[in-house]
Amino acid sequence: MSSKLRIIKDILWFFAFLALIAGIFRLWYGLGPTTALSDEMPWGLWKVMNMIAGVAISTSGFTIGFLVYVLKMERFRPLVKPAILIAFLGYGSSCLALLFDIGLPHRFWHPLVMWNEHSFLFEVFWCVMLYFTVTTIELSPTILKRFGAEKLSHWLHRIAFGVVVVGITLSSLHHSSLGSLFLVTPLRLHALWYSAWLPLFFIISAMAAGLMFIIFVRIAYARLYDPDPIYGLRMDSGIKSNGSEFFATPQMKNLALLGAIASSILGIYLILKFVDLARAGELMLLFNGSWESWLFMFELFVAALLPIILTVIPRVRRSPAGLGTAAFLASFGLVLNRMNVGIFGYFHDTAQPYFPSLAEWGLSLGVIAAAALVFMFISEQFPIFDESWRRRMEKSDVFTYAFDKLSHVWNTVLMSGLQRVTLIAVLAIPLAWLLFYPPFKADDTTDGRIKPAIGLDQTRTVLLIDGNRDGVKTEFPHVDHQNRLGKEQSCQKCHHIAMPRDNATPCYRCHSNMLDSAEIFDHFGHMQLVAEKEKLDGLHPKNHSCSNCHNPALPNTASDAKACTECHKEDMKLGNEPYARLQLASASPYRSAMHENCIECHKKEEIKQNKPNLAHCSTCHKSLEPVNLKIAKSADTIKALPEPLTLAR
Amino acid sequence: MYGILVDVTRCTGCEKCVDACIKANNSNYEKAQIDSVAARDGLSANRLSSIIKLENGHFARKSCMHCLEPSCVSACLVGSLTKTPEGAVVYDPSKCIGCRYCMLACPFHIPRYEWDSTHPYVMKCAMCIDRIQDGKLPACVEACPEQAMIFGHRDELLKKARRRIAANPEKYINHVWGEREFGGTAVMYISDVDLGKLDWPKVPASAIPELTEPLISKTPVIAMSVMGGILSINWIIGRRMKLAAERRSQAENLEPEVKKDQDDEQ
Repeated sequence: MSSKLRIIKDILWFFAFLALIAGIFRLWYGLGPTTALSDEMPWGLWKVMNMIAGVAISTSGFTIGFLVYVLKMERFRPLVKPAILIAFLGYGSSCLALLFDIGLPHRFWHPLVMWNEHSFLFEVFWCVMLYFTVTTIELSPTILKRFGAEKLSHWLHRIAFGVVVVGITLSSLHHSSLGSLFLVTPLRLHALWYSAWLPLFFIISAMAAGLMFIIFVRIAYARLYDPDPIYGLRMDSGIKSNGSEFFATPQMKNLALLGAIASSILGIYLILKFVDLARAGELMLLFNGSWESWLFMFELFVAALLPIILTVIPRVRRSPAGLGTAAFLASFGLVLNRMNVGIFGYFHDTAQPYFPSLAEWGLSLGVIAAAALVFMFISEQFPIFDESWRRRMEKSDVFTYAFDKLSHVWNTVLMSGLQRVTLIAVLAIPLAWLLFYPPFKADDTTDGRIKPAIGLDQTRTVLLIDGNRDGVKTEFPHVDHQNRLGKEQSCQKCHHIAMPRDNATPCYRCHSNMLDSAEIFDHFGHMQLVAEKEKLDGLHPKNHSCSNCHNPALPNTASDAKACTECHKEDMKLGNEPYARLQLASASPYRSAMHENCIECHKKEEIKQNKPNLAHCSTCHKSLEPVNLKIAKSADTIKALPEPLTLAR
Repeated sequence: MYGILVDVTRCTGCEKCVDACIKANNSNYEKAQIDSVAARDGLSANRLSSIIKLENGHFARKSCMHCLEPSCVSACLVGSLTKTPEGAVVYDPSKCIGCRYCMLACPFHIPRYEWDSTHPYVMKCAMCIDRIQDGKLPACVEACPEQAMIFGHRDELLKKARRRIAANPEKYINHVWGEREFGGTAVMYISDVDLGKLDWPKVPASAIPELTEPLISKTPVIAMSVMGGILSINWIIGRRMKLAAERRSQAENLEPEVKKDQDDEQ
């Protein structure tokens, strides 16, 4: 085995081990801690890249089947088995990744018995499942032949055409249905990608890119294993070229033809895309300079325009490197398109962009890497690429003896790399553990940045405070405070109600009126109470009502004041009501607590004194304007404020 | 068919309905308080309804709108979500596989997921269906101190909304949100400010299932026509190739002049 191949396999094994650990963490800790998915972005990398793009890129199974079995283009016969293998592994790996993505993987069989035939996802499930069965049936003769099951293999060969027809039908259904899945998001998906033609776009682009992907795989296989059929014979073993610069081997000519077919489909796709935009009157969206418009143009450039240009030039088309590049670009473009429709197209609608977590990337890439490893294994051990297989048999490369279950053929194949793989596992697993371990995930609350509050009038840069609640407001000198208390780090000294997992606390959580006092603790009211209780005269500092709570020897700060529960023994009984427990989590109970304090008594008095509506909201909140009620009289004395929730005092 | 009419002009944003909702659904109160600020609209798996602050100091309750043609019901592949005769859209956790397609399908961003659980379910308002069946009001409606929400038959609520707007035309915007949007919803709003923040569309949009159901009902037709198309193409090509092969074998036996004539005929 060449060293290049060895290194590639090592890298693939590395990713596969990452996926193993990511998968274990996903099952152990659940979706929340391991992924970046949220209520805003319920579908992420696993579903969009692995499932939707993975299935789309494995279309070659049905397109090559269509070309060979239906259109009887025998020249593509050598690509049938690789195409089926790609389809089998593409669908298999997609379903594997999906098992980790769905919340309750042990219920994956539910759609088999619980039907909702109105759902496109239901159709996709059934088609993908049936088509996976079809690819298994199509692939099995090749595998079974080596195990000596000639009769079964022969029988399977006889029903091949029927199976292919069923496969094509299923494919044409579910590839378009994958696009129809996104028809339900007309107001969320960006208008550039949302279209009533999504099912059409999905199937056309999948057909073209599926063909391109098998070209890419064929050329990559040739590069890694057996260059002769694609790159031409080596100089020592024959003539390399006939002198023409357009020389290509027969296989390469076939691939070039396939590339031409694929890029003509891409051409139709490109035209339809623009027709659709024009039809919906959204052509101008392309030029409005938003990042979506640039992404859309980049996607079409990579997915369609560039591959078409490359394949139109005969010299590029017939060179393995040129066609390989075009094929890679088209395949990459397809994945990008699916990511745009499934992920990026939603960013304009979500509060913060979704970026997949490391564990998501690990599992996603690892499952693909594992599929590639299985592809390599099967193509090495079974006659998938017929011509290469025959040549290797003749050259007695690895397969010197006929297959025998009891011989050491499998042993050598599996054991030769085992030591190396073990070494990779020893390296990869601890690394994956460090990278993906959910408790190590960076917590949003620790980044220390103060974000502008939701609901704060952005045009108003000045914060007015009214600490004494006497209607006299003063401008809060933000910059002075910052300078005095320790620059940017000091913000949290005041913005202490930054709640867990909170990015931007809406001001009105605590301040139902931003023009009103910014102080949660009612100093004035408390001083008044204390003065009354102690029979002190008014609020003069000499009366030292402050010292009832604060230590006179220390600066009067919140930290050296009495605990609230020392006086409010009943109101804030710990563990009694949720209010007291929630003191640290949120300030909103303040509002509820005040309500409980007032309303209960109001309700009693309402009955006792026969004063209707005494417990009504508008008795205290002045600007409610209830339909059947005059504004409470006490509220008239309060200065009119724009906010409705102004407490009348 | 029941519904809820929300009068935004009466809502004071006291969040009593949210507290009642948390209590009625046995949600975790502490988690609900944290989620009230963590989520953009205050909705989470622990907090199935929330109060949204609108402009000019207006508030509105946000929760499931219980669409008449619910997109989530149409989207769920196992039929975990259903529309009951009472008008509520309810969720059956025993069927759910956790694909989260309902969350993508809902135009109001309502269904929430228990992300932190290892056995997660979708959470959404069920209009307190068990309370309605017991002859009680939904918890939020019962808790509202301002009667900003009224529960009743949808037709009557619609009439009531129209009456209120007619009685006070300069106060209300002449529009009942939920009458036609997305094919009509059971939870409707009347207001004196714009309700775009509640994800109401600017232009009344048709029901989302109307975008998909005409297509999906054609699936058998598409399947049959694709299969028929494949078979007929295959037959035509097979026959042409057979004829061409016959002609070739004939041509090999014939004189060159005759072969030329045949080519001309083609």
